[in-house]
Amino acid sequence: MNMHISPDKCIACTTCVVQCPVAEATTKFLGPRMIGPAYERFRLLGLAEDASLHYCANCKNCDISCPQGVPVSSLNMLARAEQCRHHSPSLRDWILGHGELMARWLRHVPAPLKNFGMLNPLTREVLDALGIDKRATLPAFATQTFRQMFAHIRQPGHKRKVIYYPGCYVDVYDPTTGVDMVWALNRAGYDVIVPNEVVCCGLPLVSNGFWQHAHANAERNLRELAGWRDKGLPLLTGCPSCALMFRTDLLEYFPDLISKYGPCRLEDAQKFLLETMDDALFEATSTAPVVSQHVIYHAPCHLRAQGNGLPGLALLRRIPGVNVDNADAGCCGISGSYGFKKEKYDIAQTIGSRLFAAIRESGAATAVSECGTCRVQIRHGSGLPAKHPVSILRQHLEGLH
Amino acid sequence: MNKIADVLVVGSGMAGLVAALSAAQQGCSVRLLSAGMGSLAICGGTIDLLGYVQGNAIADPWQGMTQLPEEHPYRLLGVDNVRLAMDSLRKTLEDHGWPMHPAIIDGHDGNTRLPTIMGTLKPTWLLPPGVEPQTLATAKNILVVSVEKLRDCRPGLVIDQLKRYKEWADRTYTPALLPSPFGEAHRSISALDLARLADRPQTRNWLLDNLAQFAGNYDLILLPPLCGSRADLALQQQISAIAKCPVVEMLSIPPGVGGLRLRDVLLRAMKECGCTFIENATALHAEVHDGCCTALQVNASGVVERQAAHAFVMATGGILGGGITMTPGTVQETVFGIDIPAPQDVGQWSEQDIFGNHIFSHMGIRVDSAMRPVGHEATPLWQNVFFAGRTVGGYDYAAEKSGLGVAIATGWQAGRMAARAALEMNGKQQ
Repeated sequence: MNMHISPDKCIACTTCVVQCPVAEATTKFLGPRMIGPAYERFRLLGLAEDASLHYCANCKNCDISCPQGVPVSSLNMLARAEQCRHHSPSLRDWILGHGELMARWLRHVPAPLKNFGMLNPLTREVLDALGIDKRATLPAFATQTFRQMFAHIRQPGHKRKVIYYPGCYVDVYDPTTGVDMVWALNRAGYDVIVPNEVVCCGLPLVSNGFWQHAHANAERNLRELAGWRDKGLPLLTGCPSCALMFRTDLLEYFPDLISKYGPCRLEDAQKFLLETMDDALFEATSTAPVVSQHVIYHAPCHLRAQGNGLPGLALLRRIPGVNVDNADAGCCGISGSYGFKKEKYDIAQTIGSRLFAAIRESGAATAVSECGTCRVQIRHGSGLPAKHPVSILRQHLEGLH
Repeated sequence: MNKIADVLVVGSGMAGLVAALSAAQQGCSVRLLSAGMGSLAICGGTIDLLGYVQGNAIADPWQGMTQLPEEHPYRLLGVDNVRLAMDSLRKTLEDHGWPMHPAIIDGHDGNTRLPTIMGTLKPTWLLPPGVEPQTLATAKNILVVSVEKLRDCRPGLVIDQLKRYKEWADRTYTPALLPSPFGEAHRSISALDLARLADRPQTRNWLLDNLAQFAGNYDLILLPPLCGSRADLALQQQISAIAKCPVVEMLSIPPGVGGLRLRDVLLRAMKECGCTFIENATALHAEVHDGCCTALQVNASGVVERQAAHAFVMATGGILGGGITMTPGTVQETVFGIDIPAPQDVGQWSEQDIFGNHIFSHMGIRVDSAMRPVGHEATPLWQNVFFAGRTVGGYDYAAEKSGLGVAIATGWQAGRMAARAALEMNGKQQ
């Protein structure tokens, strides 16, 4: 690794310290200002690393809040990559970073068997010993992957096409959200192409220290997506973390790949729907009576970091019969696989507690958020079901209550 | 979604938040863009209006305003408008459970010299609830409290320093150091860490139990800002009730905690007004036609997006905040590219004396009384573009102690004027 970001734009103003959810939850973490730009100066001199680097959840609240534009979280991730080059990450981190790869290996094993194998109490004890907290709710494998389901969808045959990048969470654990997304894009007047070659964006690999694997995934994705981009097709994703990875992180992590393929800045699919669906398309498609529903929306940190506001919330507000609150209660704490880890589970629950309380107190029956693991955390912490905005959209327009 | 907002505000420091509220209160749809949080979140949470004029401390900021140079934002606005702006902010704070008040001296409001964690006195105007100037002036028996491992505040230093001031010399002081509730922490703890313990009922008892042991023994307790990080009046009252005397927080270095409480209130107020908040979006360029701005080009995680509006408030900050860009010999406003006159020789931008009258600290764009930037002839450059806060020139917030005051006054005016311009443009289009 020979890439460095200059830490010298940091003026040590402490704004990021104020906004960091991990620093708020625990004094075990040195905090973003110290672990990021301040320690970077020691790193550049070849001096020691701080032991609490791994507590950074890469949630990006430091980047969102920094008045000087210092990419604090990227400083931390690059430092972690360097650290992992010298000390291989644990088996636990390998498992959490490679969910998609494991799913591919196990693709011929029926889902109930896989889930029994992974989620039964005995395995959970073993995983707990490895460092995956047995109190955490782990997502279950879906019966079919999204791409298996997508192969059977008959689309309307619109001339206009978009590329949909599902992301590994939708593909492996939550294919119905992907199917709902295809339905919504069809409704907006677009046929959907899901490239077969694309793999996980690599964010879980970066967060868990598998830099080379993340590089390989990025290369495979960029090679495939650059072709579609050059044909002028919109590149969309419903997952905020994938979008952020392609829009900013890959440019900071792998400049070699960006100079080879150019950036492929995935667009937020909810923003695309908001801008392309006119009011008539929000009318119900069935004769079933409009049932009103009270939902509460949670904005994922990685969406807030994109500078486009909350298009998923705006989309929900346009659906007739949907009454939506904005929880506006900060980070949920999960940060991908961070909150599953034994030494971080309590931190993640503390961070999320404000959100869980807001959700429970809202009186809403359903929580809504774009991010798959935010939804896992919300279900775990608040007990409410949690859905993606496009699922609410489809449910209402089709009258599925 | 209405793609064109009535008013687009850029910046979420005090000036931007006040401008957004002020425009929304005129019935406009408001979109607020932010790149970073501004410095409100880390400041001390009192509101400075005007503490010094030409280096002399003043007791009455309203009187002091009349002695300011003509190009000063307060003079451009006029004292009456500044009063309206402050009244408006105080009403917002009061409506949201955080009433702030000034000292009243002979029937007039004035400045209070508030102790800091360094034991110095800082003149400020609006005080947080529970801080009574009368108590500060008359308390004889004072407990100065800090917490083990809180490196920023040492009671012995505070007491030694305070005794040097005439009005604080003739009092009895007792230092106290509370045990740290964090035990062996990996980092040095800050007042904010302690304040957050007080936010949560489960961990609040640490503070309450520790203060209870001093109950009834003192007229006044001074401590660092650790009484909660949110604008929670009930908590402040509970703390003073347990201590059986006024508990006053000393002003702290960043993170100052008190600023978070103000931001908490203003964000809640903005949410109630239906303002849309877009984080992490950096304004790059303005699209201008025929003396009007139509849209800003904005960097949204690597993609340039167009943000259209009928009127614009720029509260992008000064040199540190990014609203003003400097290169040797040139100074420019960042988004519209407005030239700010400056001596060619950078050596002339500052004086030898650190507390001197530096040119750089007054640098900023010239505006008219409506907060529109003006050119050489003092005519507005654009009809629907307004500036607020530190991007505006003609004042030196550090030397004057006028930072939040100018941010509030200019933000209030810019928001109001932008709303008027937007409603006019809306009218023309309909």
